[in-house]
Amino acid sequence: MDPAGIISGIRLPRVLTAFCVGGSLAIAGAAMQALFRNPMADPYILGTSSGGALGAAMAVVFFGGLGMPLFAWAGAVLAILIVWSIAGRQGIIPVETLLLTGIAVSFFFSAIVSFLIAIAGENVHQIIFWLMGGLWNVSGTDALLTAAVLVPVSFILFFMGRDLNALSLGEETAAHLGIDAIRARWVVLGSSTLVTAVAVSVAGSIGFIGLVTPHIVRIILGPDNRIVIPGAVLLGGIILVWSDTLARTFFSDLPVGIITAFIGAPFFLWLIRQRGVNT
Amino acid sequence: MTRDTLHALGMSAGYGTTDIIEQISCSFSPGTFTGIIGPNGSGKTTLLRALSRALPCSGLLTLNDKPVSAYTAAELGMVLGFVPQDEERPFSYSVMQVVLMARYLRTSRFAALSPADYERSRTALRQTGTADLENRSIKTLSGGEWQRVLIARALAQDTRVLLLDEPTSHLDLGHQSEILTLLRHLSDEGSTIIAVFHDLNLAALFCDRLILIRNGRVAGDGTPAQVLTPQTIREAYGADVVTARHPATGRTYLMPMTGTDRTTNERLSEGIHVICGGGTGSDLLHFLARRAFSLSTGILATNDSDHSAATALDIPCIALPPFTPMSEETLDELATALSRASHVIITHHPIGTGNLPVIRALEGIDPKKIILHLPEGTNIASCDFTGGVAARILEEALVAGARCAPTFTEILVHISKKIHDKPEEL
Repeated sequence: MDPAGIISGIRLPRVLTAFCVGGSLAIAGAAMQALFRNPMADPYILGTSSGGALGAAMAVVFFGGLGMPLFAWAGAVLAILIVWSIAGRQGIIPVETLLLTGIAVSFFFSAIVSFLIAIAGENVHQIIFWLMGGLWNVSGTDALLTAAVLVPVSFILFFMGRDLNALSLGEETAAHLGIDAIRARWVVLGSSTLVTAVAVSVAGSIGFIGLVTPHIVRIILGPDNRIVIPGAVLLGGIILVWSDTLARTFFSDLPVGIITAFIGAPFFLWLIRQRGVNT
Repeated sequence: MTRDTLHALGMSAGYGTTDIIEQISCSFSPGTFTGIIGPNGSGKTTLLRALSRALPCSGLLTLNDKPVSAYTAAELGMVLGFVPQDEERPFSYSVMQVVLMARYLRTSRFAALSPADYERSRTALRQTGTADLENRSIKTLSGGEWQRVLIARALAQDTRVLLLDEPTSHLDLGHQSEILTLLRHLSDEGSTIIAVFHDLNLAALFCDRLILIRNGRVAGDGTPAQVLTPQTIREAYGADVVTARHPATGRTYLMPMTGTDRTTNERLSEGIHVICGGGTGSDLLHFLARRAFSLSTGILATNDSDHSAATALDIPCIALPPFTPMSEETLDELATALSRASHVIITHHPIGTGNLPVIRALEGIDPKKIILHLPEGTNIASCDFTGGVAARILEEALVAGARCAPTFTEILVHISKKIHDKPEEL
C-alpha cells in the first residue's frame, strides 16, 4: 500500500475513531457523574461494559470471533435494558436504585464472562484483549458510526447542560427549579448509554477516560456542565488519540486501555496535588 | 378562591406504601405567613414536600384553581419555590452559579443568561446577606451560609408561593431574625409563605397562622395564640409548657417547664403561702413548685404576671379583677390561707394603698411563720409606697420573730427549720 493509502485508509480512520471513542466515553462519564451526583460514576456504571464484554466473549467462544462489534453492541444494549426494566418497574425510582441495579447486573454479567474465559481455551487472549480495549481493527465505517452517534449526543447533552447542573444537586431540587427532572433523567441516561454502547462495541471497554476526563475538565474549567460537556468531548478525544498513538508507536500496539491508565493516572494524581480535589 | 391560593383537599402522601400524612385539608392564601409545626416524625416535611409536588400524593391539590398535577415543571417553577433544609454539594459550583439555577426556567436552553438574571441573583444574595460569598465555592460554605444561599436561590426564582423546610435550622440568632423578617416582609407584600418550624417561639413571633401536625393529621389550625396552648402542646409534644403574651412583642410565646417532682416529701408537705406581685413572685413560685411544696398565693390581680405564673403552675391563687378594691370576702379568704399555711413568704414587691390590706392581714398571724425575701441591695423601705405604714408592719413582724432571706436557698433553710424553733440569737 502506498503511503497516501496508509494515511487515508488506515491511520485517519483510526485517529478519528480514537477521537470519537474518547469523546464518547468522556461525555458519558460527565453526564453520569452529574446525574448520579457522584464523582466516582463512570460511563460503565449501568452495566454497559460488562454487557459488551459478554457479547464479545460469546462471539469469541461460539463464533470464533466473528461479528465481535455487533455482539458487543447487543450485549451492552441488553445490559442497559435489563437495568432499566428492573429498576424502572415502580415508575419513579431514585437514582440510587438505578445505580445499585447497574452494579448487580454488572457483577452477574462479569461472572458469565469469567466462565466463558475459563472455557475459551486458546482463544482466551482475544477476550482478554477486548476487555482491555483497543483500536486495532477499526475502519472508516467505525469512524463514521461513532461520529454519527457522538455528534448528536454532544449537542443534546450540551443543550441540557443547565438541566445537568440542577440535577447534580438532586432530582427534587431540579424539579423545584422548574426542570422536568424525570424526563431529563431519561434523556441523559438514554443518550449517554447509547454513545457508550457504540464506543464499547468499536473499541472494547477502555477504562479511565470516562471516569477521569470530566474531573480534569472541572479542575481546569469549573463545574458548569455547559462547559464540562463540550470540554469533556474535546479532552476525552485528545487523550485517546494520544494514548493510541503512543500504544501503536512505542509499545507495538498494546491495548490502549493500559496506556490510558498507565499515563493518565499519575497525571491525574499530579493534577490533584496541584489544584486540590474540589472538582 | 383568590389568586395564588394553594389548596389541599383530603391529601395523603408518604413513602412506599406507608402514608405519613393522611387526609389533610388546608388552604393557603396570599399575604399569609403560615408555620407548620409538630413533633419529630409527625409529617411536617412530608406535608411540605407533598404541597410542592416533590412527593406524589392522593387527594386534590390545586394552585390558582388548577390541579398542581396539571402544571408542567416549568409552569410550576414559575409560581412555586421550595427551600430544602439542606442539599447535597457533590460539585464545587460557585454561589452565583447555584443562585443562577433559579433563572434557568426563564431562559431558553439555547440562549445565554441575561445581565438581568445576574442582577436578580445578586439582589437575592444581598437580601439574604450572602452577597460577599458570590464567588465562593459552595463546598467551602458553612451550614448556615449554605442555607442562606438556598434561600437566595428560591428568592431569585421570583415565585409568589414559597415553601421552606425549617429555613432557620442552621442559622444563628441574628440571621434567624433577619431571614424571618425578610419572609414576613414578602408575605406582607402578598406572597404566600409556608414554612416548617421547629422553634415554636419563632413560629409564633413571625407567623400569622400555625398548623399543628400530629401523627400525620392536622391537630390545630389558627393564630399562634389559638394553636399554642399548654393543652395542645402537651397533647402533641408530651411536654409541659407555660404560654403567655410577650409584653414587648404582644405575641404568644411559650417556655418549657422544668420537670416537677410530684412525689411529696413529708417534711416538705406543709403549706406555704407566697405574697407577691408585679412579677416578683414567678421565679420563686417555679422554684418552690419544682420542690413539690404545697403552695398558695394571693391576693393578685388577674393581669399580674405572677398570677399567670400561678395559673400555669396550677397553684391556688386568691385573685381579683384588675383595679378593684379588695373585698371583705377576698380578705377573709386570704386570712384563711395565711392561718392554714406553715410559712408565709413575702417577696420584695411594691406595696401601695391598693395592696396594703394584704400586709395588714399579716398582723393576724404568728410572726414566726413569716419569711421576708429581700434580695441583695433591697430593704423594707424600698418596697414601701404607703408612707411608712407597710414598712412599720413588716419591721414589727421582724422584731416579733419573722425572718429575712436574701436568696431562695436561704428561704429553703428557714422553711426546713421547725416553725417553733427559736430564731438564732444575733
